[in-house]
Amino acid sequence: MLRTTLIKALNAAKLSPKHVSVVSRASSDVAKKPEKIEVFIDDQPVLVEPGTTVLQAAALIGIEIPRFCYHERLAVAGNCRMCLVEVEKSPKPVAACAMPVMKGWRIKTESEMTKKAREGVMEFLLVNHPLDCPICDQGGECDLQDQSMAFGSDRSRFTDIDFSGKRAVEDKDIGPLIKTIMTRCIHCTRCIRFASEVAGVDDLGTTGRGSGMEIGTYVQKFFLSELSGNVIDLCPVGALTSKPYSFTARPWEIRKIDSIDVLDAIGSNIVVSTRTGEVMRILPRTNEEINEEWLSDKARFAYDGLKRQRLVTPMLRGSDGELTPVDWETALLSVGKVLRNAGSSVGAIAGGLADAEALVALKDLLNRLGSEDLCTEHTFPMDGSGSDLRSNYLLNNKIAGAEDADFVLLIGTNPRFEAPLLNSRLRKAYVHKELDVALVGPKVDLTYEYDHLGDDPNVISEIASGKHPIAKKLKAAKKPLIILGADILQRPDGGALLAAVQSLAASTTPSEGWKVFNILHKVASQVAALDIGYTPGVDKIRENSPKVLFLLGADEAAIDKSDLPEGCFVIYQGHHGDQGAVIADAILPGAAYTEKQATYVNTEGRAQQTLQAVSPPGQAREDWKIIRALSEVIRVPLPYDNLNEIRCRLHDVAPHLTRYGEAENANYFKQAEELAKTAKSSNLSGSPIDVKIKELKDFYMTDAISRASPTMAKCVQAVLKQKQSKY
Amino acid sequence: MASLLLRSGALKKCPNLKWSIASLSTTSSRLSDDVSKAVKQKEAPQITHDTALLNPEEIEQRKRLQGYITVDAQSNVAPITGQPEEHVKGRLVRIYEPAKNAMQSGTDNTGHWEMDFDTRERWENPLMGWCSSGDPLSNMKVQFSSKEEAIRHCEKNGWEWYIQESSFEKPFKPKSYGVNFSWNKRTRVSTK
Repeated sequence: MLRTTLIKALNAAKLSPKHVSVVSRASSDVAKKPEKIEVFIDDQPVLVEPGTTVLQAAALIGIEIPRFCYHERLAVAGNCRMCLVEVEKSPKPVAACAMPVMKGWRIKTESEMTKKAREGVMEFLLVNHPLDCPICDQGGECDLQDQSMAFGSDRSRFTDIDFSGKRAVEDKDIGPLIKTIMTRCIHCTRCIRFASEVAGVDDLGTTGRGSGMEIGTYVQKFFLSELSGNVIDLCPVGALTSKPYSFTARPWEIRKIDSIDVLDAIGSNIVVSTRTGEVMRILPRTNEEINEEWLSDKARFAYDGLKRQRLVTPMLRGSDGELTPVDWETALLSVGKVLRNAGSSVGAIAGGLADAEALVALKDLLNRLGSEDLCTEHTFPMDGSGSDLRSNYLLNNKIAGAEDADFVLLIGTNPRFEAPLLNSRLRKAYVHKELDVALVGPKVDLTYEYDHLGDDPNVISEIASGKHPIAKKLKAAKKPLIILGADILQRPDGGALLAAVQSLAASTTPSEGWKVFNILHKVASQVAALDIGYTPGVDKIRENSPKVLFLLGADEAAIDKSDLPEGCFVIYQGHHGDQGAVIADAILPGAAYTEKQATYVNTEGRAQQTLQAVSPPGQAREDWKIIRALSEVIRVPLPYDNLNEIRCRLHDVAPHLTRYGEAENANYFKQAEELAKTAKSSNLSGSPIDVKIKELKDFYMTDAISRASPTMAKCVQAVLKQKQSKY
Repeated sequence: MASLLLRSGALKKCPNLKWSIASLSTTSSRLSDDVSKAVKQKEAPQITHDTALLNPEEIEQRKRLQGYITVDAQSNVAPITGQPEEHVKGRLVRIYEPAKNAMQSGTDNTGHWEMDFDTRERWENPLMGWCSSGDPLSNMKVQFSSKEEAIRHCEKNGWEWYIQESSFEKPFKPKSYGVNFSWNKRTRVSTK
């Protein structure tokens, strides 16, 4: 920090490559909008739109003005005063974050007055800030620490003349995730703004004035939200830190590995921090198209589930009915023997955390054995065109596209808990772009107001026929979105429901290139599995009653022993001892998402890859390698030996699976709608539309990893405790 | 340094020349009795990496072709770097733009391209509790100003690479302090 400022000062803010793109974009906009105004920052001219703040204008040419309270994704507060800069001919320094630029202003970010203002602000902040950096969890990645080194004075006039001690504030208990040390708070109010604007939970606020001012919940209350962990990142000092991470590691001793979150279908980008082969914490990584820079609490805090309930060694069920640990050779040989004897009578079920490499390897293996019974645990109607047309099962308009919508109809989904970061986009559009939302399904709290249209499925056909009052709004909308939860398609009339929603989407008149029909999945593996050619739902297994069933991380108990024929041999391959392992006769320990380089496709059809951060525990191995080894044992060797070769196979199956970072568009909406009309039963049943995850306590534990996580269990307890509180 | 001083003749005026050379010099010129002879000594011939592994016939062939126009080809230094095969074989190099640290507002250490190798096993060292690894390439984090440069570096070293693209570009929108107080918008602030 200090080094950069010095360099910037010396080179008169020479441009680094990160700013070049911004500059070029700014200058290309000039041609379109001639009304831009010119200002000079440190004598460098810059053309900006009217209304741009001083701080934003400086950022356009790569000059970073120090700040504490300003955050580009939150409202402007202007209360920390760290961004004070001198404007020529102005008697006082101005707050750069809140002041719009005027034509011809000459702003000086490195002048004497600016420096003096910064030193003064810094001195005041440090008067009321404890000197406990050595025992503070923020140490090493603290904005206050860095900025006091770069912009602060080297001495303070603070003397405790009354020997009364420094200002001290009582710590608040705001839940099992966030640790508060309120004496360190500098009152930037970022957490308050995040809670009320982004999370939509108005629980945090300030009380008192002057040196008696405090941030808190006013009454003893938990700050419970599915996005609450983000205030830890936002806090520029160590007032809000992570409770599970507290005192476990320092930022300079951890390694950061970029990865992808797989605990929901959004595919948030994350950074996994590790030390000595252990995951210490998970932080968000900026991706403007997916998660911006936020992360849901499940993705951020469920990592301690990766260290518990793990399958660390292969196991076989002995004659006494107990699972006994064996070595890989014994396990593979006995599983191979069973598979060879079964011939083509083999079925497979893939769970919600399976990666594309393992999915394609398993499919290749079973196809070679002569079986086509490959299913996913989460179902999807196969009437009409089913999973043949990708547009049927994708969030076609993309996650970032939700921000531009002018009307959203949610059907049978609770995006707040099924995809918290999609919901935060919807809330952003609701707050900043006056978006209207309507919902068909049970009444839930989405953190914004919406029209509740009841939970009767026949409302959909009413809207389509124009009888319903909301139909007018939907027709008039230029950018309408219909988001259908994948969960309700498990109903017996799922096919009819899908057809009804598709024809409703087709009846709208969107602007060019806008896609109305969207499916929101709940698990990370589903889109990849459907792309590769798995059959959604486990009905096929029930009908064909195979002799051997291969569970690839299937832990939702979609099938149990009573559905299977007598003597069916169940193989479970996965990373957690959960519901799948309970019914298994043989267990092959696999790797969790932080332990393998693997491909996942999110609900918008965007392929992304996780990277290996730590090695799998014990004898656990990467999933596709286990299947590859098994194929060798049963003498139908699969033709790939390393990651590149299996990625080539993925590319052969579906090229978009290896185009990482890109969301492949789907098409044929019209054809899908036509085919959907041919569905066997087009009658909607009258049973009300329901969603599984209705409130916060259902959100935390939804898969094998989060069910094993003690932190997530504490969160559930906290929600239940909060319910008993009178606030 | 010492040979430079010797050549410049600055030390000639020094009365006890031998002592001062001995104390300054670390090169072989110190060992020779005659300074002027040492200065005349030739440097060892430089071998470029593309000729290092050639046999004498091939070098002859090159010399014969010197008069012709040559086309630059991508050079490969892998055979002469001496990297043991077990550290390189089957590994992938990731070329990426580092993202901003989510915990801080500064943008230092971003805006360039970097390469690193995939992670291999690490463990806690029982002596001090520090982190151990058997992978000498685990700390190969090299910075580049562009991804093309990073790709060239990897190809030169014979490493397999892939690019991890990022999406950091955000549409520009002027921020306003006033919307906190507007009467007819949902941006009006409820809590302070």
